[in-house]
Amino acid sequence: MSVLARLARTPEGAAGLVLLALPVAAALAAPFLFPADPLAIAGPALAPPFSDAAFPLGTDRLGRDVLAGLVHGARASLMVGLAAAFVAVAFGALVGTIAGFSGGLADEALMRLTEAFQTVPGFLLALAFVSVAGGSLPVVVAAIALGAWTGPARLARAEVLSIRGRDYVAAARVAGMRATEIALREVLPNALPPVLALSSVIVANAVLVEAALSFLGLGDPNLITWGSMIAEGRTMLRSAPHLSIVPGLGLVVTVLGVHLLSEGLAEALATRRARA
Amino acid sequence: MIPLRFCRRTVLRGTALLLAPLALPARLFANGGRLVVAADSEPRNLNPAIVASNGVFFVASKVIEPLAEASYDGRDGLAPRLAVAWEGSADGLSATFRLRQGVTWHDGKPFTSADVAFSALKVWKPLQNLGRLVFANLEAVDTPDDHTAIFRFSRPTPFQLIRNALPVVSSVVAKHVFENEADIAASPLNNRPMGTGPFRFAEHRPGEYYLLERNPDYWGEGEPKLDQIVFRVLPDRAAAAGALEAGEIHLAAFSQVPLADLDRIAKVEGIAVHTRGYEALTYQLCVEINHRRKELADLAVRRAIAHAIDRDFVVRTIFLGHAQASTGIVPKNAPEFHEADVPAYPFDVERANALLDRAGYKRGQDGVRFSLRLLPAPYFTETRQFGDYLRQALAAIGIEAVVVNNDAAAHQKAVYADHDFDLAVAPTVFRGDPAISTTILVRSGTPAGVPFSNQGGYENAGIDALIDEAAETVDTAARTALYRRLQQLVAQDLPLINVAEWGFVTVASDRVANVSSNPRWAVSNWADTALES
Repeated sequence: MSVLARLARTPEGAAGLVLLALPVAAALAAPFLFPADPLAIAGPALAPPFSDAAFPLGTDRLGRDVLAGLVHGARASLMVGLAAAFVAVAFGALVGTIAGFSGGLADEALMRLTEAFQTVPGFLLALAFVSVAGGSLPVVVAAIALGAWTGPARLARAEVLSIRGRDYVAAARVAGMRATEIALREVLPNALPPVLALSSVIVANAVLVEAALSFLGLGDPNLITWGSMIAEGRTMLRSAPHLSIVPGLGLVVTVLGVHLLSEGLAEALATRRARA
Repeated sequence: MIPLRFCRRTVLRGTALLLAPLALPARLFANGGRLVVAADSEPRNLNPAIVASNGVFFVASKVIEPLAEASYDGRDGLAPRLAVAWEGSADGLSATFRLRQGVTWHDGKPFTSADVAFSALKVWKPLQNLGRLVFANLEAVDTPDDHTAIFRFSRPTPFQLIRNALPVVSSVVAKHVFENEADIAASPLNNRPMGTGPFRFAEHRPGEYYLLERNPDYWGEGEPKLDQIVFRVLPDRAAAAGALEAGEIHLAAFSQVPLADLDRIAKVEGIAVHTRGYEALTYQLCVEINHRRKELADLAVRRAIAHAIDRDFVVRTIFLGHAQASTGIVPKNAPEFHEADVPAYPFDVERANALLDRAGYKRGQDGVRFSLRLLPAPYFTETRQFGDYLRQALAAIGIEAVVVNNDAAAHQKAVYADHDFDLAVAPTVFRGDPAISTTILVRSGTPAGVPFSNQGGYENAGIDALIDEAAETVDTAARTALYRRLQQLVAQDLPLINVAEWGFVTVASDRVANVSSNPRWAVSNWADTALES
């Protein structure tokens, strides 16, 4: 039975898949459903939800379509979340593998560096980085990854340390493979699965950090994101609560979906290990 | 035995409770009470004689008074404060102020013309952001007696300018307080203001509040009416509305309650919305242009941008009606100077597109002619929202605007020091006379780093010459005519694009009396403000 099928069998996994399907579908369909710029002024300002068929979720202060914002916001959130997680896991796994495989001084140096990053709260790091480098999409991704790569790095190092002494690594060495080759082709692929399981948590966290940055006005202002929608709606929380609630629900569904999925994934992987 | 604990506090509290019903009726009809006001900033320097800005005046104007205050019905739009009469000479080389008698400083020392001379020569002229301009040619202040101050200028200085500037530039500080300070601008005394005003500065707790207390020796008959004013620091705008409704504060000025919340809060019982009281504090929403950018140096492009902006939409949707469309650099509520007969740029996307086509800026494959960086000032929700709107308005005429958001410090540096922008959205202020803070927006030659000045590299010899001529034209009618001509030239050449002008809104409890009683009410002395029970 494949991991995916087992995943769908666990209650957490199934719920996660269903929840996550919503933002993923929205993100994929966004350019077809709302081909125009979601920041464009489309109608009368502050139309309440369910009052106008053209704007099912109403419009904001400037008359921008909230539904278009929600759908395009899913795109931005998932894109940033996935990109940040990818960068964090790739960089972290690389650092962890080098540290664990080479040992000695390199290991010491890299691990102290990792600890140095771990002592600073990830969000503060992102905040400082974005306010210095300016809020554009690549900067936001880098800023989030900056605070998230330490987890994968430590996990990868621990895995590598245990794999390094296994027989097949020794066999590869005897066969005359070069050290880098062994590290990248024999050790890294086997150290990766637990690191990947961690990555879903990183995605969820990245989505939240991105929303927080946009909420503080530090995101990319040319891109619609849920965080910036909430920030704009906040001043009208009493008179037009839907402006904050709608993107807020988007965030809840996405983060909850990713978390449940990662729970389910961990369980599915554990069953596979137990059976194996 | 039951240990009965009697401490002094319990006894006092008990007695106070017993006495309370007796004390209350007398209190109902007497003056007094504590007014709690929302404040959204804590200025680094609280001396209005040095920093003439609304954030400072909001708190400090109750403590330190100017020579005259703006007024709805007074002569020349002024009401006397520390000066009771003023007059300029025909040659523009002197101005005479008769000062109020019997005024004492909060420390009991008498207020005299020496204080005015000291303030003018040692503080306003060398240190104050606006006084530097207005009193640039001030040479000496003669004090023939304790209640007369004669300002002497080295070059003709129009009295019209001095008069219009009085409420803003003439906050008088005590000579005996500052004369021994080596560096007045950096003195810690600036943050413990001492003046002649109706309230004494009592305490500032950073992040919490400013406390002002009644000055029993105030010169105004029966004033002040309040016992205390507390400025509670509430930097979060959404919090001010909540605090008002909960009765924690009595008043929120400067649109601290967001415009979008006004409709709702106006219906809450016991709360009133005041839109008057900001006539002399008109803010202008304008688009600053970097003329170093070759497309923007082209007048056709600037005109196209002016045609692309729907001023009606801006007023209706962004300001929710609490603003009016601009025609130029002088706002409509400065009737003394406002010129209505200027070239107008009605909203017309087709015409804007035609202008750009004719000027040779063809649309590319993606419909974009060229791309610009747009920096909206972060100071107001409205400036940021206008930035979002302008991006869309420009998209309609094929100009892609990339919005760059900065915090206040980074925005000032990018626009006014580094010139690292193409378009910027700025909230400029008209301060009663074009020579104070308006001509600097279009005249060339201001060094880099001066905020709200022409940092877009615009140079127009005709406009520069006209501004210089008006600066030394003493005759009021001739001077006014020059400024009317300036508005026409600016509207024609568009060194910047004025979009809308707005005043603020005060939201206050019904119990607060005499709100908005003058055109600078929020930053005036509040001597007649009362709290009714």
